[in-house]
Amino acid sequence: MKRTVPLVLTFIVGMYPIFAFFVPHRIVSDLNDRLDTWLIIVAAFALPLGAVNVFMMNFSKISQRKKGWPYSLVILAGLVVMGAIGIAGAYRQDSIAQFQYLFQNIVSPLQSTMFSLLAFYVASAAYRAFRARNVDAAILLVAAIVVMFGRIPFGDMLTHGSMTPLSEWLMTIPNTAAQRGIIIGAALGAASMSIRIILGIERTYLGSGKD
Amino acid sequence: MNLKSMLYIDRRIIYLLVSIGALIPIITPIGLPVMPTKPVAALFDAIEKMGPEDVVIVSFDYGPSSEPELNPMAEAILRHLFTRKIKVVVMALFPLGGNEEAKKELSKIVGEFDLRYGVDYINLGYKEGAQAVMKRMAVSIPDVFPTDADGKSTQGMPIMDRARNYRDVALVVSLATGIIGEYWANLVNAQFGVDVSVGCTAVSAPKYYAYLRAGQMMSLLGGLKGASEYEKLVGDEYPAIRQTYEQPQEKKISATTGMDVQSIVHVIIIAFIVFGNAIYFMTRKEGGK
Repeated sequence: MKRTVPLVLTFIVGMYPIFAFFVPHRIVSDLNDRLDTWLIIVAAFALPLGAVNVFMMNFSKISQRKKGWPYSLVILAGLVVMGAIGIAGAYRQDSIAQFQYLFQNIVSPLQSTMFSLLAFYVASAAYRAFRARNVDAAILLVAAIVVMFGRIPFGDMLTHGSMTPLSEWLMTIPNTAAQRGIIIGAALGAASMSIRIILGIERTYLGSGKD
Repeated sequence: MNLKSMLYIDRRIIYLLVSIGALIPIITPIGLPVMPTKPVAALFDAIEKMGPEDVVIVSFDYGPSSEPELNPMAEAILRHLFTRKIKVVVMALFPLGGNEEAKKELSKIVGEFDLRYGVDYINLGYKEGAQAVMKRMAVSIPDVFPTDADGKSTQGMPIMDRARNYRDVALVVSLATGIIGEYWANLVNAQFGVDVSVGCTAVSAPKYYAYLRAGQMMSLLGGLKGASEYEKLVGDEYPAIRQTYEQPQEKKISATTGMDVQSIVHVIIIAFIVFGNAIYFMTRKEGGK
């Protein structure tokens, strides 16, 4: 029963949008619209689920004094403080301002700093690891240099305006060809996984598999 | 010091050079010229053809980590839209700060124009469930957003009567980090035929070229370069916007100034790559002997 009901539900809600796509009748599409609305509500439940998961994982790390537990303490403090003020914002106008203040003065600078550090790591990693060891690596290296020059005005100044068009060509033709392969492959994978879930072949989402 | 030891140069020296390269253009902007590219000009041209009767959705689908690249983009596009008196519906689908970015950018830009909330623009706030939200908006935008970002009812707001569903929307501009921009292209454009433009970080720009070439996106603004190109386009066309960008406080944080920093840092990285490879080949030759 514990497995059959979810499997039947998954089959119905998975098949119905496909059915509605091919049967554009008002009654069919009305129910499909309702399913879309439910989907937004179900998706919203993913947020508290994620918060509970983060809380449990980090709480157990702290209680067992695992390596790096002080970081978990910081995560939990952030989760509790931001969460509490955010929820209070639904009832108190001044909490919205407090949330905005914390976001703009703590979360925003921290995340920007993390992202900015990439420039330093990229420079260091490029110097140490980006070598033309063979023909493939040499092609990649030349393409990277062209694109990097193409992303800055200095490249055009050096080459009388020919670096931007060359970089755009690389992005538009060879890059697009590769990206299409990746996107089509990923889409086919997602479609086949969806079919497996709808038909009940893929059941890992149900949990451990023990009834 | 032999050549091989140069390959293992202390990384702090590299960090120091990158820091100096980033700081110099901030202290004394160079003002390198920016040349707009076709994917960016396509958005500018599309907005130029619109007027006060049109509705554009601007979706803030990014968080603070992408601020340096996407905030200048958001500012240039919002300034352009408001100058053209186009109705703007702002929303957010990115959970980690999309709504906060939208609020911040709106509070900054709205003051520069004579605009009425709920009539000329609205901030619908964040809604969880990206694809589900996009799909449901095709039926009814007010149903998906019964309240705005501050919890006020959207019912009765004049702008919502003009933005009932995608049929009323002339263009969607998604400022995106991650996959949400792709959803706008492969779901909203492909299924509902709405024009979609994506502004993204430079690192995620390559994947969007596939959608651009397929016609699922009508334009693409990639990273700080895309933002600086848009700043140039609006600045050249509208002197009032150019004056805004020439104010010292605004100039310091504009994408055009950011491009000076990016230029120097890119040149430093390229120099390191070339230098590293030169030493690599020289030491390999010595090893061969």
